[in-house]
Amino acid sequence: MQENYLAKWLNNELSGKELEDFKKSAEYTSYQKIAEVSKTMEAPEFNIERALTNFKTNNLDKEVKVVQLNPMRKLMRIAAAIAVIAVGSYIYLSSLNESIATQYAENTQVILPDNSEVALNADSKISYNEKKWDEKRSVSLEGEAFFKVAKGERFTVATEDGLVAVLGTQFNVENRKGYFEVSCYEGLVSVTYKGKETKVPAGSSFMAINGKITNTEVQKNAQPSWINKESSFKSTPLHYVLAEFERQHNIRVETRNIDKNKLFTGTFSNTDAKLALESISVPSQIKFKLEGNKVLFYAEDAK
Amino acid sequence: MKKPTPVKSTNMDNVCEEKVFSSLFETNSKTVFNYIYYKFGNEEKAYDAVQEAFVKLWENCTKVTPDKAKSYVYTVANNLYLNVLKAEKVRMKYADTSNDRTNESPEFILEEQEFKEKLDKALNSLPENQRTTFLLNRIDGKKYAEIAEMEGVSVKAIEKRMHLALKSLREHIDGI
Repeated sequence: MQENYLAKWLNNELSGKELEDFKKSAEYTSYQKIAEVSKTMEAPEFNIERALTNFKTNNLDKEVKVVQLNPMRKLMRIAAAIAVIAVGSYIYLSSLNESIATQYAENTQVILPDNSEVALNADSKISYNEKKWDEKRSVSLEGEAFFKVAKGERFTVATEDGLVAVLGTQFNVENRKGYFEVSCYEGLVSVTYKGKETKVPAGSSFMAINGKITNTEVQKNAQPSWINKESSFKSTPLHYVLAEFERQHNIRVETRNIDKNKLFTGTFSNTDAKLALESISVPSQIKFKLEGNKVLFYAEDAK
Repeated sequence: MKKPTPVKSTNMDNVCEEKVFSSLFETNSKTVFNYIYYKFGNEEKAYDAVQEAFVKLWENCTKVTPDKAKSYVYTVANNLYLNVLKAEKVRMKYADTSNDRTNESPEFILEEQEFKEKLDKALNSLPENQRTTFLLNRIDGKKYAEIAEMEGVSVKAIEKRMHLALKSLREHIDGI
C-alpha cells in the first residue's frame, strides 16, 4: 500500500488494484463506516448574516465619542489652545489646493472628487481645490493631461496659454513652452486662446505654436497616443518633439547643426528609447549618438 | 502593447470596498468559525475569532488583496488563540437521517447511536491538527489543497494528518 493510502482512499485516488486489496482488508468496513458517518456530522450553528450585522454595528458605524467634563482647568485651557491652532491650520490647509505632479519618464492617474479621470503625462502638474470642488469644477494644468470628465456642470482646465471648458467629455490638453494643443475625442470642448473662443468638436484638434493656430484632425472615440505609451506628432517643429523625448525617456538631448524648426510628422515609443531615437532620426535625416543619459543629434553631412 | 487600465472609483478588487468586504465575510466566516471550533471546541471563542479576524482584515484592507484575504483571516484567527486556549471537548451534531430510515430495526438504530458516540469520543482524543484537518474535509468538504493553504503546510502533510486521523479513529472505535 502506498503512503497515506487512507487519505488517498477518501479522495478516490487509489488505483483499481490497491482499492481491491484495501476492500479485502479486515478494517475496511470500519473505515467505510467512519467515512460515511463523519459526513453526516455538523458543526455548531453559525448564522453568517447575524455575525455580519454584528460586525458592521461594532466596527463600521461612526464612532461617537463622549467627552467628559474635566475639572482640571489648566489642562482645559491648553486643550482649547491646541484646538484653536488645529482648527486654524485645518481651515488654512483645506483652502490650499490639492496638487499632483509627475517627473520625467513618469505617468500617473488622478481621480477627481466627482470621479472624473485624469491621466497625467510626464513632467506635468495639475492642481485643484478639493473643498470648493462642488461649487466650481476647475483644474489648473501645467504640461499635458488626458481628461475623462464625468457628466455635470461646466468643467474648466486652466493653463498658462489658454482656457478649456467642457460639459462632460474626453479630451487631451497639452501646454508646454510656446505650445498649446487641445484634442477632443468625445463631445464638445470650448477653447479660449488669447481672448478668442473656439469650439473644438470630437475628432478635431486645436493647436497653437508660438501664437500660430492650426486645426488638425484626431480620431474620434480614441485616446491620445501617449496613453498607449507612444508620442505622436503632426507637422510639429522638431524642438517640441525633442523636448517630448526628453520628458518621456529622461535622456538629455543636445543638437549640433540641425534645423530644429523643421516639421516632424511621426510617432515614437515612450518605452523603448533606442527605437524612439530611430523613429525621430530616420525620417528627419539626422544622426544620433546615445551615451548614457545623453543623446546628441547631428546633421548627416556634418562631422 | 500594454494598455493602461484606468483607475475606477468602484474598485472591485479593493477589500476596503464594503461590498467586497461583505462578500468575503459571507463566503469565509462560517469556515473560520468551524476551523477554530474544530481546533479548540469552544463555540464562543470561535465566534469571537471570526469577529476579530475580520476586524483585522478591515483595518488592513489597504494592504491585503482579495485573493490573499482568505488565508489572511485564517492566519489571524489561528494566531489569536495559539498557545492560549486549551482544547475543550469538540461536540458534533449529526444530521438527522431517521426520516429516510424508518424501516430500520431498533437494534440497528441503537448500534448507529453507539457508533456516533464512539466517533465523537475518538475525535476528541485526536491531536488538534488531525481533528481539524479531518473535520474540515468531512464536514466542510474542503479539499486537501485548501486545508494545506489554511494551515500553511504542504498537501502531503495534510494527507499524512488525514491518514493518521483515520487510522487512530478506526483503532479507537474498534477498541484496539
